[in-house]
Amino acid sequence: MKKTLPWLLWLWISAVIVGAFYYAPLAQGFIGKSSRILFFHVPMAWVSFTAFIAAAVWSVLYLMKGRQESHDRAAAVAIQLGLLFGILATVTGALWARVMWGAFWNWDPRQTSILISLLFYAAYLALRGAVDDPEKRGRLSAAYALLGMVVTPFLFWVMPRLTYTLHPEPVVNANGKVEMESRMVQVLLASTFAFTILFFWMHNLHCRLQALLARKVEAQE
Amino acid sequence: MNKKGYYLLGATLLLAFAGFSATAFKETLTPYVPYEMARKGDRVVQVAGALEKGSSSYVAQEESLYFTLQDPKTKENMDVRYKGLKPANFEDAISIVAIGRYDETARKFEADKLLVKCPSKYQGAEVKTYS
Repeated sequence: MKKTLPWLLWLWISAVIVGAFYYAPLAQGFIGKSSRILFFHVPMAWVSFTAFIAAAVWSVLYLMKGRQESHDRAAAVAIQLGLLFGILATVTGALWARVMWGAFWNWDPRQTSILISLLFYAAYLALRGAVDDPEKRGRLSAAYALLGMVVTPFLFWVMPRLTYTLHPEPVVNANGKVEMESRMVQVLLASTFAFTILFFWMHNLHCRLQALLARKVEAQE
Repeated sequence: MNKKGYYLLGATLLLAFAGFSATAFKETLTPYVPYEMARKGDRVVQVAGALEKGSSSYVAQEESLYFTLQDPKTKENMDVRYKGLKPANFEDAISIVAIGRYDETARKFEADKLLVKCPSKYQGAEVKTYS
């Protein structure tokens, strides 16, 4: 099972790519084929948010379940991956903005809020880098990741809905409905699922690698 | 103070922080200024609004695009002149951001750049075929 999972995932992602370009129709009012970026940009932003939530969950586990190093490591890796997917979402968004708005970057509330989130979590990594004692580092990082649960939902979900923005309506619109063509919904859901599994797979690999490296350092000492 | 008290204090502080961010950030997070502020004309600003239907005209000799923006909240109008080519998706625009400076003598907002927001309908587009 462990060996077949990555292959199934790659097969699924390949199907999503084919679906995004050949199965889903183009959306109304978008220039050229720019609407197809939706199938990658939205799942990336979603995974970034999921990663930050997951990091908070692992941080709570670290604080409440006997300060296990594995929980601290899992939270840190989730934030690293959340940053990676967040940057990818920002870059794909900027590429789309160049086509639709005529500028890569305009300090639009959507762009500003995701940038602040990314800076917030980049500071988490800086904080970890600045503390040598593993116990202290774990505690501080966990508290910081939990503070992120106040900042992140606010910046990802609330802020862009409070102000005027050039960004298109979110997939779930202001009325709480998904007004999207059915084939688009299918591809978007399939892609979101694929990206979510990809995140947890990468997370698992990275955590195992980190654990091995830590053991190697211990053995050398 | 016991442990529960600390948790309560912490939760209250976090909520207060969230509330403060909501009010303080709202102003600073947006680059779009109200028309009233743009009319002072003292610096390059961004104004956003809906395109007033039927207000746009392109003057080929001047290579300029004239149109009127309407603030969706205050319903205030602002005449805009953009020197440049008409953006490809201009006619479909539901909302436009003009970047530039207000010209007091022409009583128009002189835009150097236009950003166009189109209706984001995630519905299948009609495929047009030309023969």
